Amino acid sequence: MKALLTQIRREFWEHRALWIVPLAIAAVMLLAAAIFGRIQLNFGDPGIHYDAPTPPPLAELLVLGWALPFYLAAAVQGTGYLIDCLYGERRDRSILFWRSMPVSDASTVLTKLLTGLVLVPLGAFVIAAATSLAGSAILVLRNHDVVLNGQHVMALWNLLSWLRMQGIVFYGLIAALLWYAPFAAYLMLASVWARRSPYIWALAPPLLLLILEHMIFGTNYVGRILGGGFHELLHLAYRLDGDGAPTTGGGHDISFTMHLLSPERLLASLRLWVGLLAAALMVALAIRVRRYRDES
Amino acid sequence: MATIIEAKNLSKRYGSFVALDDVSFSVQPGRIVGLIGRNGAGKTTALKTILGLTTYQGSVQVLGIEPARDRNALMSQVCFIADAAVLPRWLSVAHAIDYVAGVHPRFDRKRAEQVLATTDIRRGSRIGQLSKGMITQLHLALILAINARLLVLDEPTLGLDLVYRRQFYDTLLNDYIDKERTILLTTHQVEEVENLLTDVLFIDKGRVVLDAAVDDLPARFQQLTVAPDRIEEARALNPFYVRELFGRTIMLYQDLPAESLAGLGELRTPGIADLFVAKMQVTNPQASNSQVVAP
Repeated sequence: MKALLTQIRREFWEHRALWIVPLAIAAVMLLAAAIFGRIQLNFGDPGIHYDAPTPPPLAELLVLGWALPFYLAAAVQGTGYLIDCLYGERRDRSILFWRSMPVSDASTVLTKLLTGLVLVPLGAFVIAAATSLAGSAILVLRNHDVVLNGQHVMALWNLLSWLRMQGIVFYGLIAALLWYAPFAAYLMLASVWARRSPYIWALAPPLLLLILEHMIFGTNYVGRILGGGFHELLHLAYRLDGDGAPTTGGGHDISFTMHLLSPERLLASLRLWVGLLAAALMVALAIRVRRYRDES
Repeated sequence: MATIIEAKNLSKRYGSFVALDDVSFSVQPGRIVGLIGRNGAGKTTALKTILGLTTYQGSVQVLGIEPARDRNALMSQVCFIADAAVLPRWLSVAHAIDYVAGVHPRFDRKRAEQVLATTDIRRGSRIGQLSKGMITQLHLALILAINARLLVLDEPTLGLDLVYRRQFYDTLLNDYIDKERTILLTTHQVEEVENLLTDVLFIDKGRVVLDAAVDDLPARFQQLTVAPDRIEEARALNPFYVRELFGRTIMLYQDLPAESLAGLGELRTPGIADLFVAKMQVTNPQASNSQVVAP
């Protein structure tokens, strides 16, 4: 356990941007909330009522909007990290030092997979959640005297709905981890394989396949597998209607409830399981390559 | 105690290049063995098979473990410094200590701090900011704090200045006296380790040329500075190496009783460096400006 924690810390020592960037994003967002967070009511009388049975799910949308930069950064950083993680140690020739320690190749590769695929997105989730809490507090303070729909702005904040939203997002995060595991494993394989330029090793084979398939068969299966992923994932993991808006049982209004989640559909997806199997094979291959490569 | 390293009929090829050619040797506990050879002689390849870093034909047992099969178990009892430059430049000194302390069950943090305290290395520095000599000092401090049964050093002082080289071997030797451990080291600066070694293993073109305990050398090898009028007599006794220097003739003999050379000149036991050069020129006569007599 101590060894595992040390190995994980080592990854964040080397790739400091993995924790600096999300913290920097959080700082910028909170600063922006403090400076620009005053709601301007410019649509008529201050106490205006508009026809809506309930307040719009302001807090829910805020959580989604606030989290987005963190997840975008995590996706970019996680990808960059996974491409570099098994190449960097050979580029700087430190691999013989790491391999002089009683840490197996399997343990090294799996720690790096854990870091890039799980810990980086998980960190984004935790920091995004903390930021949305702090940001909400700042917004409520900045607008403490604003009255909307006859309600005090404070009334729009609802801890229960915030927690529910975190749950819905967290579930999506877990679904995405499983979904993108083969992608992560592929990047690691490119990283351990490359003698130089791991980015080319990561990009070239799928591009080549795409072009070859188009030239020879005129079809686009590879493209669909590579590109259609996120849309398919959303529709498997969540009950969404055609245009991507969340739906409840029979109603038409937007509502973020646990009914939205459809883990049974996700787990019944063949693509998910084939992907996980492929991921396991590629990780095993990456371990083997690191284990048996002769550096001279 | 059991044999530390047992290598039998070890061979390794890189394409058509034979790096190790049917090599057999063993290392006993508590010895300091110098694996000595010219560039490309197969020293590093031999070490790599011992450390499980490469595949090979034949058999190797290190501490009863087959290196290629169970590297993890091996690395908890064996330490190695492959080259001074392998510590990652982005790592800070404090983190380097934290890392080894975290992953190595036999690491003694206090001991590492003690060794580091004798140097100018600052805890907060990144390794990239240290000089090559300091990096080696740090690496040695980390390695010596590990209670390993076997220490493997591959050209550990390459590229260091004389002061750092001297300090390196002094630290190593002081620590060695503290603990009973076995050391296998390669270098081509033979003079610097001469007084350190208990055993020598000369290797050339992938083959073992000499495998001997330093204590046995006086009985096996004689170096004769031949008196000018006795050269023909000395030559008749079949020296394996003859060298002429400043008008003096030096001859080396193997397995010849000292008594039979008595009176032919000044007799002494050759140094390891001299013996090595002689042995290398026997196997590589073209690189020699001395006369070599086939044994």
